[in-house]
Amino acid sequence: MLDLTKKKRRIALGCEGSANKLGIGVILHEGDSLSSSTSTVLSNIRHTFVSPPGTGFLPKDTARHHRSFFVRIALQALSAANISISDIDCICYTKGPGMGAPLTSVAIAARTLSLLWNKPLVGVNHCVGHIEMGRAITGASHPVVLYVSGGNTQVIAYAEQRYRIFGEALDIAVGNCLDRFARTLEISNDPAPGYNIEQLAKQGGRVLLDLPYAVKGMDCSFSGILTRADELAAHMKNGGKGPDGEPFTPADLCFSLQETIFAMLVEITERAMAHVGSSQVLIVGGVGCNERLQEMMGAMAAERGGSVYATDERFCIDNGIMIAHAGLLAYETGFQTPIEESTCTQRFRTDEVLVKWRK
Amino acid sequence: MATDSPLTYPCSLTLDVPFPDARLANVALQALRVDKELSALVQRELSAADSTLKVQYKATTNRMLRVAVNSFFDSLALVLEVMEELDEDVIEARKAQEKTS
Repeated sequence: MLDLTKKKRRIALGCEGSANKLGIGVILHEGDSLSSSTSTVLSNIRHTFVSPPGTGFLPKDTARHHRSFFVRIALQALSAANISISDIDCICYTKGPGMGAPLTSVAIAARTLSLLWNKPLVGVNHCVGHIEMGRAITGASHPVVLYVSGGNTQVIAYAEQRYRIFGEALDIAVGNCLDRFARTLEISNDPAPGYNIEQLAKQGGRVLLDLPYAVKGMDCSFSGILTRADELAAHMKNGGKGPDGEPFTPADLCFSLQETIFAMLVEITERAMAHVGSSQVLIVGGVGCNERLQEMMGAMAAERGGSVYATDERFCIDNGIMIAHAGLLAYETGFQTPIEESTCTQRFRTDEVLVKWRK
Repeated sequence: MATDSPLTYPCSLTLDVPFPDARLANVALQALRVDKELSALVQRELSAADSTLKVQYKATTNRMLRVAVNSFFDSLALVLEVMEELDEDVIEARKAQEKTS
């Protein structure tokens, strides 16, 4: 480990399971110094636990899913990476934030691998994993980061070795609002509820229904919007009419919900950009896959003479490679997690992590 | 309600889990003892004696005991599967077999 930065090839295995996606990936860092090293994805395997329409994924069932798929996914990740155990420098796992039982199920497997293979463990913050993978894939240099998923909604900017939270959702994450509304409309959760809302929204747009717009300074709130959207859905099911006296459809509801919540995200992101003096936006997290969000953010960024960076679903949806990448970056600075401390935590603020691998 | 009497744990269960060797029993011990029990109504003690993992559960009620032990078995099953499929010698053997086939 002392010679780690002099070692030309450094490889980490990463395990992610904080929500309903189990992801295991292998990453390679090559190069002499940390600032000029390159990252290569050797493998990135994922399996998603999908619950029936009208339901969400519960911790106990999700943990059971992760336990039953861990070995299978790990074997696929190792085989696709075409490496041997002796090539691996460390085992990275998601310490948090996320759902307790699923996090712990993956941590137990990661600990077992660490002990069997005699490799150090590195606990990783899930949010930092998303950010570092976004940076690596897009090459964005000084972006404001919008991290939006089913579990998190944060506007983040890097300063002095911390990813600082400039604004966030005060109650539920934007992705949670979408996932729960999908349940109301009994939209399929396969491949993901938000994806299906996005497709349905493309068929809407005849009418923009009135939903409360809840930006509060640098922060925003989604539970009120969800309540109102649920009310409108019930109204629609009872044969109620829209504001123009005409009936409206689930597609109109999806369209209206997206337009409202994405406009809110664009506003708080722009506020942070003005504060920090940045013109770049990096969108990470599962909701970042949404093309309408990327389009609206792009319009705002272009007006400011900047641009939007986003990754594809391999990296914006929860995955193991981002954990491997962020974990290996930390390991290269001398960080590791002793096994007795390799617990998981449902709450783990993004700014708790000392980003030693950046200036 | 009762006064400040300390909790008693009348319901208990002892498990002796045999492993192929002391190394694996110790791996299981170290992997499983990190997480604290979720409920204060359950107490757990883990130790390794040679190739046996010794598990002691105590709880305030049979229901709490059953829930805690079932959860422990789920985690133990995962540890065992990882050992059976992902230990170094297993992976080497699988690679060697793939090369010859």
